[in-house]
Parts: sequence; C-alpha cells; structure tokens
Amino acid sequence: MNTLENKKSENNNPFRQTKFTRSSNSQKIRNSFSQFSQEELAAKKEIVSIAGRLLRIRNFGNLLFADLADQAGIIQLKVGKNKDFAELGIGDIIGVKGVICKTDKGELSVEVQEFVLLSKCLRSLPDIHYGFNDTEERFRKRYLDFLINAEKKDILVVRHQVIQSIRHWLDQKEFVEIETPILVSEASGAQAKPFVTHHNKLHRDFYLRIATEIPLKKLLVGGFEKVYEIGRIFRNEGIDARHNPEFTTIEIYQTYENAEYMMNLTEELFHYLAAKVLKREEFAFNSHPVNLVQSFRRLAMVDAIKEYAGIDFTQINDLTAALEMAAQHNLKLAKFQKTIGQIILAFFEEYVEKKLIQPTFIYDYPVEVSPLAKSKPENEKIADRFELYIGGLEFANGYSELNDPIEQKKRFAEQARQKALGNEEIASFDKEFIEALEYGMPPAGGLGIGIDRLIMLFTGQNSIKEVIAFPQLRSKEKVSENFE
Amino acid sequence: MSAEESNLLLDEVTGEKVSKNELKRRNKQREKEREKEAKKLASKTADVAAKPAKSENDEASEENLNPNQYFEIRSKSIKKFRETRNPNPYPHKFHVDISIPTFIEKYNHLEPGQHLTDVVRLAGRIHNKRASGSKLRFYDIHGEGVKVQIMAQAQDSEQNFAEIHDLIRRGDIVGVRGCPGKSKKGELSIFPKEVILLSPCLHMLPKEYYGFKDQESRYRQRYLDLIMNNFVREKFDVRAKVIKYVRKFLDDLEFLEVNFIISITVAPELYLKMLVVGGLDRVYEIGRQFRNESIDLTHNPEFTTCEFYMAYADMYDLMEMTENMLSGMVKSITGGYKLKYHPQGPDGIEMDIDFTPPFKRVSMIETLEKKLDVKFPPASELHTDETNKFLQEICEKHEVECSPPRTNARLLDKLVGEFIEVDCVSPTFITGHPQMMSPLAKSHRDIPGLCERFELFVATKEVCNAYTELNDPFDQRERFEEQAHQKEQGDDEAQLIDETFCTSLEYGLPPTGGWGMGIDRLTMFLTDSSNIKEVLLFPAMKPIEEKVYVADEIYEVPHK
Repeated sequence: MNTLENKKSENNNPFRQTKFTRSSNSQKIRNSFSQFSQEELAAKKEIVSIAGRLLRIRNFGNLLFADLADQAGIIQLKVGKNKDFAELGIGDIIGVKGVICKTDKGELSVEVQEFVLLSKCLRSLPDIHYGFNDTEERFRKRYLDFLINAEKKDILVVRHQVIQSIRHWLDQKEFVEIETPILVSEASGAQAKPFVTHHNKLHRDFYLRIATEIPLKKLLVGGFEKVYEIGRIFRNEGIDARHNPEFTTIEIYQTYENAEYMMNLTEELFHYLAAKVLKREEFAFNSHPVNLVQSFRRLAMVDAIKEYAGIDFTQINDLTAALEMAAQHNLKLAKFQKTIGQIILAFFEEYVEKKLIQPTFIYDYPVEVSPLAKSKPENEKIADRFELYIGGLEFANGYSELNDPIEQKKRFAEQARQKALGNEEIASFDKEFIEALEYGMPPAGGLGIGIDRLIMLFTGQNSIKEVIAFPQLRSKEKVSENFE
Repeated sequence: MSAEESNLLLDEVTGEKVSKNELKRRNKQREKEREKEAKKLASKTADVAAKPAKSENDEASEENLNPNQYFEIRSKSIKKFRETRNPNPYPHKFHVDISIPTFIEKYNHLEPGQHLTDVVRLAGRIHNKRASGSKLRFYDIHGEGVKVQIMAQAQDSEQNFAEIHDLIRRGDIVGVRGCPGKSKKGELSIFPKEVILLSPCLHMLPKEYYGFKDQESRYRQRYLDLIMNNFVREKFDVRAKVIKYVRKFLDDLEFLEVNFIISITVAPELYLKMLVVGGLDRVYEIGRQFRNESIDLTHNPEFTTCEFYMAYADMYDLMEMTENMLSGMVKSITGGYKLKYHPQGPDGIEMDIDFTPPFKRVSMIETLEKKLDVKFPPASELHTDETNKFLQEICEKHEVECSPPRTNARLLDKLVGEFIEVDCVSPTFITGHPQMMSPLAKSHRDIPGLCERFELFVATKEVCNAYTELNDPFDQRERFEEQAHQKEQGDDEAQLIDETFCTSLEYGLPPTGGWGMGIDRLTMFLTDSSNIKEVLLFPAMKPIEEKVYVADEIYEVPHK
C-alpha cells in the first residue's frame, strides 16, 4: 500500500502501478456492515482495502464525498481535507484503504485513510445526470455503457449465471459437453445462408457453421449417448433487434429418446432456470408478462391454426384446396412454398406465431419444413417435432432425430428441389452425414435453444444487442449513408 | 449440361456419371468380385454343410464380402423392412432404464451361473455375434466405452427367436429387455426376453482383429474411430475434464465468463480488456481462435484457448494462479503430479513432466548469457541496430537459422527457442522479455527495456502467456507504432494499431493481469498425444480426393 506521501512522487506517471490487493468490495461491505449504526461502526474501526472508479465527487471544502464503483456496485467514500484527493478527476481508478463508517445521513461509507491512483481517466466521462443513452454510441463504446449504466453490466452477469446453470443442470444429468468445429466444409444442419471464408494454405473455402446439429449427431453414431454444445452460430442474414450475425445456441441430444421426451426436458429446464436460478415466476417480455413456472400449453400446429385463424387444415387434403385457401387470405407464396406443408407453415407464421404469448409448445410440423426430423410413426407427412413459443417468438426447436439414411437422402433431395425453386434457406446435401447414418445412429431426441433470446427473456430486453457484450454493428460509413 | 458431362455414362450400380473407360473398369472389377464370391460361397457351403441353420451360413459368408457388396446386400434387406415395417428398422424410441456402465456396476457381484429375475432395459451397439446351434446367440453390446454380453437363449425369448436374431448384424444398435445374470463361465450377461433392432448398421464394421487404424480415415470418420477405438473416447473425456477444471477454478474466484464476436483477425484480448475498462473486474473466455496457416502436427486452423483478465493483479499473482490451476488440474485428472509424454509418438523419446508446484522460473537474458557465454547489451539497448548486429553474430556463430525479417525480436525469439525452451520439459516460467517482443505488456517495474511478462513452457512447448497489462495509453500508442515499423520490415505477426482499443485505455484501465492458455496443447500432454488432431473431435482435413461412396441405386430416390 502506498502512502499519501509516496503517491505524490509518482504523480508524474499515473500508469505506473502494477497491482493493488483488495480485502473487500462494495457489495461485501454492504452485506456485512449495513445493519450497524454510526456509533457501532465507529467502535468497530473496521479497515478495508477496496478499488474502483470514481464516478461522482462532491467537494464541501473541509469534507469531500465520492462514489467509488466496482464490479459489484457502488460505495461512498468520505475524505477529510486532502489536497491530493481533491486533484483526482471523475473516472480515475483508485485503490483505497479506509475505515467503514456511516455518515450523519446514515449512508454507509469508507472513510479514506490512504489512497493510490491506479489509472488515470484522460477523457471526460459522460455526465451521470444526463446519462449515456444514445443506442449507437452505447454499443460502439460498450465499456462506457457498462461504466455509466450499471444495469447493462448486470445483464452480462445474468447471462453468465444462466449459461453456467444450464451447464450445471446438464452435467448433473450426465450430459457431456462437446466442441465441434466452427470452420466447416459443408454448411449443414439448418436452413440458413452461411458466411464463406478462405483458407490460404489449403486453397479452399470454408463456411462458418450455421448449426451444430450434424457433427453432434455423428457423435451419437460414435457411441456418445448424451451430448450438448453451447456455441456460436453464424448466419449471413440481416442485423435487427432480434438478429445478430453471430449468436449462441445450445443443442442437446439424448439417444433412445424422442420429441416428447425433449419437450418435457425443455419445460423442466425453463422451470428450473426461472424458479431456481432467477427465483421468479413472472417475466416481462416483448411487452407482455409471461409466467414461466406454470405448465406449458401444448398444441398441434393445425389445431393452433384452427384456434387462432379459424381454418381447419384437417379438412384440406389436396394442394389445390390449400392453394385456394392461401389465395383467399391473400397469403403470398414463393414458388417453393407450393406444397400443403409449406402452406400450413405459412398460415401458422402469419396468423398464430405472434399470438402465442404464454409459453406454448407447438407440435406436429409438416415434414417438408423439417428435413432432419423423423416422421410420426402413424403419419409420414407429419414430423415428430415441436417448437416452444413465448411472447410470440420461437425459443426452442426439438424433434425425434431422423436416423434412417434412406429417408434422410430423400429429404435432402427434396431440399435440393426447393433450392432450385428459389428457397435460399436450405439444408445442403451432406453426403458424409448420410454415410455416418449408414453406420447406424440410435433413435435420439434433439433440442436447440437460442441462448441470446433466453437471456433477453430473463432480463426483459427487447434487443439482442443488449445481451451480447460486443454486438455486431454496421460500419460507421454505412450508418451515415442510411441517414442521408 | 456441359459437353463434358454429356459424354459421361451412368454407372447403374452407383448412380454416378462416369467416363466410358471408368465404367468399363468398374464392371470388370465387379465381374471379378462376383466370381470370387461365388467360388468362396461354394467352398464355404461345402465346408460347413454339416452345420444346421442355413441363415447362419449366409451370415458367415457375408463376412467375406467386400465392403461395397456387404453394403448393397444389407441395404436391400433393410429397405425391405422399411416397407413391411415388420419390424420397423428405425423405431422412434426405446426406453432405457439402465446404462451399460451402471449395469456392470450393479450386477458384477453375481456368482457364475446366478440369474436374477429383475427385468432391465439397456441399449447399445453390437460388436460381436456368435451362434451356438439354432437356440443360442452371444453378442457383445457396447455403450459409454464399456461392454456387456448378451446371452440370448430361445427358451427365454418372448418373441420369434430366429426371426429377430437372423436380422441382427455386427454394428447394429439394439435395445434389450431382459434379466441380468452370469454365464457358467462367470461372464456378466443380460438374458433377453426381447431384442429390438433400433438402428441397423448398413456398412460392414472394420474387423475387430484388424481394427481401424488408418490415421486419415480415423479423423475423417471420427464416429467410426469412436466406435472402434476406446482410447479415443478416453482422450475426449480428459479434454472435457480440462475445460471443466479451468471453468470451475475461475468461477470459484468469481470470474465472469463472457463470449465475443469471433473476428478472424483480432485476438479477443482487446475486447476483454475493454470490458475491464467497463468495470467488469474479472472476466474470462474459453473460446475458439482462428489462424489462416498450414495444418501440421501442432496446428489446426481453429483452436481453443482460455483467456482471463483480472483487475488489480500483476504477473506474479498470475504465476501463482497458474501453478495452482495446472498442478491442481493434473492431480485431479491423473491422481498425481507426474506425467509421461511421448512427443514423437509411442515409439519415440519419453519425457517425464513434473507438475509439482512451484514451477521453475528462468530469466530470459540471464539464461542466454550463461548458455552462450556472452554478455548482452543492457536491456534498454535491446532494440538498437547495434544489438541487431550482436544478435545476428550470435545466431551465425551457433548456426541458429532465422528467416527474414531478421528483427531483434525475431532473432532473440530463435535463440530462446534453441537454448532455453528445449530444456523446459517440466513446467517452466520464462520471464524478463524485452519490451519490443511484447507490445501489450507493461514495462518492467525495475529494469528499463524489459517488460512484465511470462511464458509457461511444458514439454518444450508454450502453454501459457501472460502479462501485467499495459494500461498507459501513451505508451500503448508508441508500442503500436513500433509494431507498425516492424510490419514494414516484413514481420507479418506484428500487431496493428487499434484505435478503438487505445481510446478505451484513455478512459482508464485499472492495473490488470492478463493470461492466456492453449487448451488443445495442454490436452495433448494429458492424453499423451503427439498430434493435435487426436484431441480435436473433427480436425480440419485436406480436401478429399475421392468421393464419399453412397450407393444411389439402393435408395431409388423418387422425384415427386
């Protein structure tokens, strides 16, 4: 600990310090000493070393108060007449040794005995009174956002907590965490446009993965029985409030199980995260209160369409009738969408999705839109698949994994046909995957959950950017072009 | 269709379009194989004419088919079951109530000949099938890296015994409902009431006797590698434990795990440090990094690292943490501190690595002076042209090669590699790096010209790299300028100035310790692997020359 005298001589270089040993932090002080009165604290003479950034300084001549912010929160500093301290600026990072006390107003504080400047803030911080609210600026200088708007920092803390809890929950169930490659030679496992990159020495293009499904299923062939991967996924799509070109998903696979089991597992996970980790039942999401602890509603897709749009697709058995129905409702269909299944999905997206506010599982998807899912045993046109909707948005997608290589090959061929008709979001034909299936993949249930959206739900955020430490932004030039 | 393609002919067996000559060659080959098979079958039938069930003969002869023939025959047979659904070869689910490892743990105490009446349900992959007469079948079923015997007796069966057991082949995934027991010979077994095919293996599994050893194929078909080679799974178990240990170690110290934009060019450390500026005092990331470089024994285009940043800590705190983390990890995974490592594979030299803390610490310049018996210029002059001459001379004298650009940093790095790193078998910290080698490290608190940095070497390879982070924005800009200068001289690895990062430093970065570790490399030591591909589930491979064989004719894909 440098004394005040030492500090003076070092004033020339405010970046010289290499370390500072802390004995406590703002939150620990609050937790341990809030309950004591001014007199009790005066008698205790409890000495602590803390460090952090000066956010506010109020100078009353003989007495000076300052707010010191660390990762855990803010604590007030009380400083007697001290010329050196008075020279500090807002934003400076200091280490402090002092006595815990309460001011006459009852505010828990640390009365500074010694301090050392640990790092100088050369620029002026945004004024706390006016705040730092410009969205563009906030994301470009994210570190200032975290500094000024402590609640933004808390979102990252919740994110960490939720992800570690999911990990813990799965580890308890004996799932194995896996890392599969990000650079892949085939962008498969989902219907999306990939990013392309080039490997100089191998003279070949790689794609950034659009899903982790295919390699994880290859591991089921290899004898892994319960696996998951939490990882970054990349999709070459637009950036908006809900989409970032890279985002985090978790995919979970369990052999010898099916879609229904995965649906139960999904519900169990959401209940666990809400009740046990965040200790709340109700969350505000997308301007709706949603209850995550009740049991989730389960609805077949055609029943949902019947309920919300009044159209009964169980009565529509041929393509002509389905096309007519779409025409009646002015539903525009792309060339590749001219199948009954695609039309059912189009109706669902148009009339139902947005209305599914409370957690709802939609099951029984058309097989045409589910190229990697197994059909129902009793109906080959229906995929044994489900999605979870909350606040009108999709949160999870799961199915009985298609493990029949002959059927999988057919599905890929159908996808290729759709691609020829202009569907850009297509699962590409993956021969190596077919070959793996030919060695026998056990029946398995699979589940994917978008982690970013999950964090949005748990922290009440409407923009994906808020839950990502450094979201992707359009380059500055581009933005100004848009304004012109 | 291009003119070239239109000249191709359809190979009716594979459905591929191939040249006329290729088709001729293939048909000839097929004819030969057919003749060979017919001969083999004839001799086989003659040999075993005395044996009972005909199906067994078929099955035994299948083993002599070549892989393509086997695949065609099996696919046809399974295709038939897909249509008749009797049974459905790809059912949706099988309720498992006991894993194979738990089965072994629970019932291994049984006496030879003892049979229980408990009914359990387990599932896994068949690796071995033997018949003994028409009423008894033995299988080995594998799951989670272990195996148990299935002893199927017609008398226990509640289904058509012949029908189901004629169907099942080596490689198939099956579900078994039956009772635990031990054979008279004392082998733990399940005595099935019912066996269900859950997913057939259409390909012939490599024969146990020959195994599946070809490296190239092992990495390309990792799933088959995992099926055939138990050690593969064990290596990945160790890898998972390494990552879990690191995560727990940091979580216990109240670090926050974060993830960043993956940028192909920028290391995540700049982003992480910006978070520390933002008031997140202890952050870490376990994540993928990318390098557009060649693939070799220790390099893959993507690799996994852990980086952490800790406000108010310096390199000496981090050295202690490194010792605690690594020694604790090695102890918890292997049970002790000492490892044997074979950097050139099992037949090459053996290294004894001792992770007992504290680790050895050596100072870079001092050690070089001792080893080379020379006096280096003072640290504050290490960056000068005179020193460049001095270093070039030493390199020439000791025949240490350094490809251009022969900058001071690169020359010194070569000398360190040649004279210090080679001796670092057990974990050794190298400290006292010149500032010019480390643009992001804070200058040494006592010796001008040096910086606060350490590298940890194990088995002569770098595993960790850490600094007391440079947080002085003025100094940082100067260092970036120096790097730009080195880049002009042709050093591709020099770092370019990052304006966003420098701006963030101007808002004040607390004194901070920053640390990085290569997860893949550490896993290589803990699994005694000499090739990084052994510790990556799906390593990047050079492009495939030949096509993956998929027999289209079997599928007859209908086009609606």
